[in-house]
Parts: sequence; C-alpha cells; structure tokens
Amino acid sequence: MDKVASLKWFLGIFTALFVLFLYGPFIVMGILSFQQGPEGGPQFPIIEWSTYWYQHVFGIAPPSRVAPLPIGEALFRSLSLAFATMVVSTVMGVLTAQAFRSQFRGSGVVFYSVILGMIVPGVLLGLGMALLANQLGIDRNWWSTAFVLHVVYTYPFAFLVMLAIFNRFDTSVEEASLSLGVSPARTFRKVTFPIIFPGVLSAMLFAFTLSYDEFPRTLFTGGSDVTMPLAIYGTFAVEIHPNLFAFGVLTTLFSFALLAIYGILLTVSTRRQRAKASGLQEDIS
Amino acid sequence: MLEVRSISKGFAGVPAVNDISFEVSENEYITLLGSSGSGKSVLLRIIAGLLEPDAGEIILRGEDISKRACHERRIGFVQQKYALFPHLNVFDNIAFGLRHRNNDRITDESLITRKVSEMIELVGLVGQEQKMTGQISGGQKQRVSLARTLVTSPEICLLDEPLGALDANLRERMTIELQNIRKELGISFIHVTGNEFEALAMGQKMLVMSEGHIVQQGEPQTLYTMPQDLTTAKSMHSFNIFSGDMMADHLKSGLKGKAPSAKISRASHCAVRMDKIDIAKPTAKASGLEATFLTSEFLGNKVIYFFKTNDDRICEVEDHMSLSEPKHLNPNNAYLLSWDAADMLLYDENKQLIS
Repeated sequence: MDKVASLKWFLGIFTALFVLFLYGPFIVMGILSFQQGPEGGPQFPIIEWSTYWYQHVFGIAPPSRVAPLPIGEALFRSLSLAFATMVVSTVMGVLTAQAFRSQFRGSGVVFYSVILGMIVPGVLLGLGMALLANQLGIDRNWWSTAFVLHVVYTYPFAFLVMLAIFNRFDTSVEEASLSLGVSPARTFRKVTFPIIFPGVLSAMLFAFTLSYDEFPRTLFTGGSDVTMPLAIYGTFAVEIHPNLFAFGVLTTLFSFALLAIYGILLTVSTRRQRAKASGLQEDIS
Repeated sequence: MLEVRSISKGFAGVPAVNDISFEVSENEYITLLGSSGSGKSVLLRIIAGLLEPDAGEIILRGEDISKRACHERRIGFVQQKYALFPHLNVFDNIAFGLRHRNNDRITDESLITRKVSEMIELVGLVGQEQKMTGQISGGQKQRVSLARTLVTSPEICLLDEPLGALDANLRERMTIELQNIRKELGISFIHVTGNEFEALAMGQKMLVMSEGHIVQQGEPQTLYTMPQDLTTAKSMHSFNIFSGDMMADHLKSGLKGKAPSAKISRASHCAVRMDKIDIAKPTAKASGLEATFLTSEFLGNKVIYFFKTNDDRICEVEDHMSLSEPKHLNPNNAYLLSWDAADMLLYDENKQLIS
C-alpha cells in the first residue's frame, strides 16, 4: 500500500512539474506583459508593474519611439480566413466522412489523398503552391491561394473527427426514419445531423484554430497582405517589446473565450442528449 | 395483401436468404421463427427496403415494390433495439413520421397532436409525452418504437425481435398487448423472433426459417404437434431427436407395444416429445430405453429431467406439475424411458415426416 501511495505522489508531482513546464512560456509572457513602459524591455526584472503595454496594443498609450503593432487589419484577415476555412473544411469533412460510412471502390486511395494534406510539410506545400500560382499567373492573396492551402490543411482534421463520430453512430435510427417514410435528405437533416452535432462543433474548433495560427503555408501564399501570425513574426524579427506579450496574453484569452463558447454550445446540445444517449445504448448492452 | 416471391439474397457469395416465398393476408399476425443466422432479419430488412434482394419480387396490394426506396414503401419497421431518436422526447419521437414523411406530410399541428395522443393512449404511455428517451424504461421504449411506427398507419408492420431486449416478465405482458394493439388497428404484423414460445403464442400463422429457407409454414398448433420437417421439430425445443446408427435400437427399446417396423426401416431421424416420455425404475419386467439420470431442473409449473443414454446422448423428459408429482430420482442411476408409438415422429433422410 505504501509503495502505491508514494508512487501516486511521485506521479502527481511529476505531472504538476510537467504542466508547469508546458505553461512556463505563457506564464513568463503574462508576467512580462505588465512591464513598465515605454522604457522597460522584454526581460526580468520587472522595473515597475503597469498596464502600459496593453494600452499600447489598443493604441491609447501616449506616443513613444515604439511603433504600434500592425495588427488591426491582420487580425481581421486572420479571423475571416479562419472563419471561411472552418466553414468549408467542416462541410467537406462531414460530407466526406458521410461518404466513408459505406464501402466504395477506391476508398483507400481517397482516404490517403485527403489525409495527405495534413501530413505534407507546410513549407513544401506553401512553396509548391506559390510556384504553381506563378506558373498559372495567379496573384497570391490571403483570401485565394492561402485560403485554399488552409482548407487543404484543416479539411483532413475535420474529416478524421467526423470519421470517429460516425464510427460510433447507430445507423438504426436513420433506418427507423426511412421506414417512417422520411426521405434520406430529410433524415440527414432531422436525425443524423442533430445527433452528430457535438462532433461537428469539434471539427469546427479544430479547423478554426489550426487556420487561425497557420504560419508556413500562409508565408508563401498569403501575398503582401499579411495575416496575424505573419504580422507578429514581422515585428519581432526587428525588435521585441513587451507590447507583443500583452498582445499574446490577449490572443490567448481570446482562444479561451473560443473554447468557452465551444464548451457552452457542447453542453447545451449534449444536455438534452445525455438522457437520450443512454436511451440508445444503456438498455441494449 | 403482401406477397413475397422467390426472394434471394447473398453476402459475398454466401446465401443468407434463399428462394423464399410466402403470403400475408389482410389483418393477419404472422410470426417468423428462426435461430440467429437463419436469415430471418435479412428477410425482414429486404421487405422493409433496407436491403436490396439479389432476386425475387415483393408485391404489396398487387404492386411490385421491390425497386421502391424504403421511404416510399409504406411498410412499418420496428427495430429490436428500439432505435428511438435520442434528441427528441417521447411525443416528438412518435410525431416524427407524420411531420417529416415525404408523402401525406401533416402540417396541421393540432391534427398531429390528436393522432399522437390517441396512439399514446393506445400503447399506454399517457404522462410520458415530455420525457426524453433516456428517461423511460425498456418496455416504454418498446411502446414508443411501436407507436412511432403505427401512428403513420403503414400497410403492414414488420417487427424485428420486438421483445428480445425486454425481461421475461415484461415480455409476457407485451405479448398480450401487442396482439390487442394489432387487433384494434387491423394492421397485419410480421413478427420475427428466435423464441419458439413467442412464435407459437402470437402468430395466427407461423413460418419456420432455417439456413435461409422456410422449412415449414402453417398454424402454430399444427407446427408444434406435427412438424413436417425435422428442423421445425428442432426449433420447437420440445423434442428429443434421435438420429444415426443407434436410432433404430433406441426406438425398439423405448417403444411401448408394437413397433411400426416398415416405417422405422425408412426413417433416418426420430423425434419424441419431451412431455410424452415415461420414466420407470429398471425391474425384470419393465422395458424401455436405458438411460442414466443426470440432474433435474424445477421450473415451477414443470420439472425437466436430464438423462444420458448409453451412446452419450442427452435426453430430456418434461413433467407438468398439473399432471403428476415431482419424481425423486437418484443421480447416476439407470432408468428406463418409454413412449407410445403415437407420440413418436419419424423422418426420412431428407428430414421430412414419414406419414
């Protein structure tokens, strides 16, 4: 018993240290974002605690030699690009996974060609796309060439999430709907989709976040109007100020907000389903 | 009203359903008995339109519906595992077909409410309308599943082991209720089951399926007392079946009175009802098939005694409590089993009854 207890303690402490190490960068960034400004630099010690750099990010700090972050438009681009990618990838992912529910010829080839998009290194894919666009005389833009690559990259993730969801899906409810005289299309809308909805949310979250901070593919194909990750990279390639950290904290909070929305949507949609999901499985087994 | 003509279906070359034909009349309760793997569920799914047959036709009221999609057939299908819509409550589950079906969709909510309420009353779910499907018991789920199908007034209703997931108590109650509900609505039912008692009790007509074939069809009583096919006799689980070399010897020693030797010489198999066998202690005078008593099982209204014959065959004898007192037999002792010639059914090498 003693051995087990001490092992538990060891594993617990090990895990805590590991988590601390994982979040170390974020903690350091969070602390440094409250550095005094505009003289304070991105390093310890903290000269004086202040919210100067947050004001700087929002453009309400008094003018100084530190240039404001070029994030306004970049943020807008990133968000719209992530949103569009999310919609397209999720729709494609759901439909593809739906197709894979029944066996068809060449399904193996199709499967791997979809998955290829997330396996091929982003730099290569970005470079290839840039070359192709040049060959064809297409302008490179965040909303065209980069968008295509974002979809190529996130679509496999959405597809795999939905594949796992459909794997556990009980087909008999669809059959029940069909035998009640409901057409296949309406059955999908009224039965299949509501049941797989939590999975669709997960696929959306994946697609959105992956696209939102995508770097290498966008670097080569985004053209002159940069997205947020590129804008940030552009600023600290020159000189790093704590405003970047302040912005980082805000972005992270934004991500948490996204997760929270996802969580709320999931709870709302599963609350009613919880009772019911047991209705499907519990009694049979 | 429904005619199934030479339906065949195989999976990867292995036939699951082989040249099956039968008819269902108006307002009839048909049970389809078969062990698992006999093809009974496949047959049901073909009729429902969930599987496409390799060959054959399904005629509903004179119209060939074999090529019609499932949702255009007007055939109700009640699944074994209920398959209720988990995201809808009991009321919406039952109203689903009326609201969303392709033909005759009802948009008048008051009409839907009326129809659904009537059905809820018929199947005994009053007060459960707003519950989610996870909050009701197995028996109630079964009723929702049935109500959901019946409210759409299908031409015929298929039930795939509808009582299979219920416990024994509920099963008996639902047996009676199912019949009452059907009578009230006047819809024909095809009820698939692996339970011989269910099949015997519920069907006006009964089909016995084995290895993709229908081996016999007819009234339950006829099938039980005079199974024309050895497979039917086996599926009743009420017969001791003797086959092979020792059969003739067994028969000769077990038979009371004169043996119909002409018939016996043609027979390859023999079936003796479990409740028609007498047990006697071995004495000089007594005769019978010698067997060792193993154990007995007390089932309340009857006792089943298990014997082992000299060639290691298990032989079961059933005694109904209303007819006799329980016997006290000593395990591992030898007893003599005997029966009347009238209670013995003989089958030829093709497993057909020798009359």
